[in-house]
Amino acid sequence: MSGLLDRVPDYVRSFERYVPSRPDPVLMRQFGVTHLFRLNNNENALGPPPLARDALASFPPERGAIYPSGDAYDLRQALAAKFGKSPEQFLVGNGSCEVISSVIRAFCGPGDAIVTADKTFAVYEWVARFSGVEARLVPLKHQALSPEAMLAAVTERTRVVFVCNPNNPTGSWWNRATLGRFLAALDGRALVVLDEAYREFLDDPDFPDAMDVMERHDNVLVFRTFSKMYGLAGFRVGYLCGPPAAVDFARRTHIAYSVNILGQIAATAALADDAGHIAATRRMVDAAKGYLRDRFDALGLEYVSGAGNFIMVRTPLSDTLLYRKLMREGVMVRTMTGFRYPNWIRISLAREQAMEAFAKALAKVLGQT
Amino acid sequence: MSDDVCVSLEIPAQTVFACPVAGLADVLAERAGFGRRERYRFQLTVEEFCLYLAGLAADNRPLAIGLTGKRHQLRASVAFQAANLSLGALNSTSRARTGALDASAEEMGLLLAGKAADRFHLKHKGADCFLLEAEVDRAYPEAAAVHLPEGLRPPYTIRPGRDSAQLTQAAALASAVYPPWQCPSSFRTPGKFPDMVADGQATCVLACDAKGQTAGLLAWSPCSEQGLYFSGPFVFVPPEEAANVARLLVDGFLETVARESYSIVLSFRATSDLPEASFETLGSLQSFMDGRLEHHPVVFRHLREDNGLAVWCAPQLEDFLRQTYDRLALPRDILPVDAPAGRPRRDSLLGATYDRVRNFAELVPFLDGEDMTANLAAHVAAFRRQGIGTILYYMDLAVPWEAALAGDLLQAGFAPTVVLPQGGQADKVVWQHERLA
Repeated sequence: MSGLLDRVPDYVRSFERYVPSRPDPVLMRQFGVTHLFRLNNNENALGPPPLARDALASFPPERGAIYPSGDAYDLRQALAAKFGKSPEQFLVGNGSCEVISSVIRAFCGPGDAIVTADKTFAVYEWVARFSGVEARLVPLKHQALSPEAMLAAVTERTRVVFVCNPNNPTGSWWNRATLGRFLAALDGRALVVLDEAYREFLDDPDFPDAMDVMERHDNVLVFRTFSKMYGLAGFRVGYLCGPPAAVDFARRTHIAYSVNILGQIAATAALADDAGHIAATRRMVDAAKGYLRDRFDALGLEYVSGAGNFIMVRTPLSDTLLYRKLMREGVMVRTMTGFRYPNWIRISLAREQAMEAFAKALAKVLGQT
Repeated sequence: MSDDVCVSLEIPAQTVFACPVAGLADVLAERAGFGRRERYRFQLTVEEFCLYLAGLAADNRPLAIGLTGKRHQLRASVAFQAANLSLGALNSTSRARTGALDASAEEMGLLLAGKAADRFHLKHKGADCFLLEAEVDRAYPEAAAVHLPEGLRPPYTIRPGRDSAQLTQAAALASAVYPPWQCPSSFRTPGKFPDMVADGQATCVLACDAKGQTAGLLAWSPCSEQGLYFSGPFVFVPPEEAANVARLLVDGFLETVARESYSIVLSFRATSDLPEASFETLGSLQSFMDGRLEHHPVVFRHLREDNGLAVWCAPQLEDFLRQTYDRLALPRDILPVDAPAGRPRRDSLLGATYDRVRNFAELVPFLDGEDMTANLAAHVAAFRRQGIGTILYYMDLAVPWEAALAGDLLQAGFAPTVVLPQGGQADKVVWQHERLA
C-alpha cells in the first residue's frame, strides 16, 4: 500500500481537502444550542419556486429506480427555450463545481495555467491545483476584479480566465463596458468563463448579458446555477452555456448521469415559474441588506456590500473565534480567512427572523469582547 | 526546486552494513558543504543508530534509511520495526551519560548518537513500526552589529521574503530590536535564517518602504501537520507607523497561508506589535529573564472553522480542559482515559531541547515506560542544574497513552497551562513546571 501511496502526484499530496460543515443536529449538540440559523452558504431562505415544489411533491417514488436523463435532456430543452439557444449549447452539471472541473479537464493540460482573482470563489483555484494546473491569482483592486491586472497575468500558458461576475464574496461586478474592453484586449488568447452564480440577484441594465456576449465571442462560456436564486442548492444543479464547439469539448470530459432525477425535474419546473420568485427573493435580500448595513453602521463596522445575497463585514476579533461564539448563539456564518480576507465574515441575506438573530448575537458577542 | 542532497536506501538488519552507510552519510555531508565537525557528528549518529537498530529489528526486517543534506541541516531517518522498543539510553539524562559504567556497549553507542546529534525525534507509525530521525545543524557565525534603516517612508508594501541578503539583514534587525524570547534562535546567526527559507523550513513576509528598504518581518514554520508557528511581527519603522506595518505583515501572513493545508497558526513569541484583533490569547507562559518574572502570551487563531473533535483526557485534567474549552467556545467531545495500569516497557523516552538564551526547555514524550515519573524528574533536575528557568512539556490529546500521563506530570511538578487547539494531531496541552528557577 505504501508503494501505491508514494505514487500520488505531488499536487494532490500537497492539496488540503475541503471540510464541509457537519449536519445541523451534530453542530447543535456540539455548540449546545437548540436552533441554528445557517447563514454561511448563501442559500435562498425562501426555498424553491412554487412549481418546483409541486414537481418535487408529485414525484412518484418508484421512478427513483430509473436512471435520470444522462445529459439532462428536458432541462437543456427548457434552458434553450428560455435563452433562445440550442440545447447543444448547454451542459448541465452536479452544481457549477462539476462544470468547472469539466472545463478545466477539457481545456487545460500539464504545464497550463488558469487566471483568476486571489479573493474570489475558491473552487476555480482548487480544481486547477488538484488537477496539476497552475492557478495564477490576481489581487483585487478596491474590492473588485481588476481587468488590467488579469490581462497582465495572462501568458501563453493560460488556457482559462475565470471571472466571477458578480464576485463572491465582494459582490463587485464588471459592467458592459468593462467586460467589453476586457474581451477586446484579451483578443481570444484564452477561454473566458463568466461565472454568474449570483446574476439573478442583480437588476441593473448596465450588467452585461453574458448570454448575449457569448454570441459575439467564441471564447466565452457562461456559468449559472440553480443553487442560489432558485433555492435548489440541495439538488446540486448548475450549467454552462457557450458556443457549440467549446461546449462539445467540455461535454467530452463530463460525467454523464451526474445530475439526479429530482434535481433535473425541480430545475426544469423552476425555470417556468421564476418571475415572482425572483422578485420576492430580491425584496427579501434588499430588506436584509438594508437592515444589516444599519446594524453594522451602528456598531461602526466596515462592510462590503455589492450584488448578491450576502454581505461581508470586517470583525474586531478573529473571524474564526467570532464563528465559534456566534455558533454558541445558534448562528452560523462563513469565516473569510479561507477567502484571504482574515477577520472578515460573510453573512447570507435571509429572512427577518434570521437577520435579527444574527444581529442580536453579534452585538452580544462583540459586547463581551 | 529543492537544493537538497538526498540518499535513500534499504539495508538488511545486519550490523555489517552500518559502516558503509556511515561512509555514505559522510559523502553526503561533504557534498552538501558541511564542515568537518558536522560531518563527523552526522557520520557517528548514522553509524550508531544503524548498529543499534539492526540489533533491534523484528524478524530481521530491513532498515529504510533516508539521508538528507539541506543548506542548514543534515538529517537522517531510519524506519524500522521493533517489538517492545526501549530506547532509554537516548534520554539526555541517561545514567550512562553521567558516567556510570553499567551501560551495555549497544546502549553506549545509542547514547553517543543521541549526543552527537543536535536533536532527534521518534514517531510511532502504528503497530511495531517506528521512524527515528536525527538532525545535525550547520554551524553559523554570530550576528554582526546592525543599524536600523534610516529615513523609512511610506507607502509600505508586503512581499514574500526570498532575497538572502535582505533576510539576513531583517533577522539581524529583529534580534537587535526585540527581546531574545521573541526571536527564533535562527535570527541569532542571521546566515542561518535565509538558508532555512531556501530549504523550505521557514517562510516569511517582509514589509518594505517606498524605496524597498526593510521595514518589517514576520516568519513562520510548520510545528505539526496542522499548525504553523510564527514569530513577530518585527517592525522597524517609527512608532507612529508601527501599527500599520504590523497589520500589513499579519494580513500578508494570513493571506499567504489561508489556503494551505494548515488549520491553525500560533505563537509563544508574538511581539507587542501584534494586532490583538487578529488572534486569541490562550494563556501565558512564565519565565525569569534577568531576574524578572515575565509573562509570555500564547496567541493563536484558526485558519478555518473549527467544528469540533474528540480528545482523550485523564481524570486529573478534566476540570482544566472543560473550563478551557468553555472559555474558548471550542466544541469538544472528551473521551475518558485512565492512568496506565501497566507500562509497556521499562524505560520511557523523552525528547528534550533547550535554549540557554531564552532560558527555556521543552519536553516531548516519545515512549511510555515504568520510569516515566522518575524520567520526568531527572530531566527537570538536569535542566535546573543548567539554570534553565522555564520547562515545558507537550501532551497531544489525540494519543491515548500521552493523555494518560497526566498523573505522572502532576507528580513531577508540572501544571497544565495552555491548550493549543489542533496544535498536534488533536489539541495539545502545554504543561509548565511549576517551580521557576
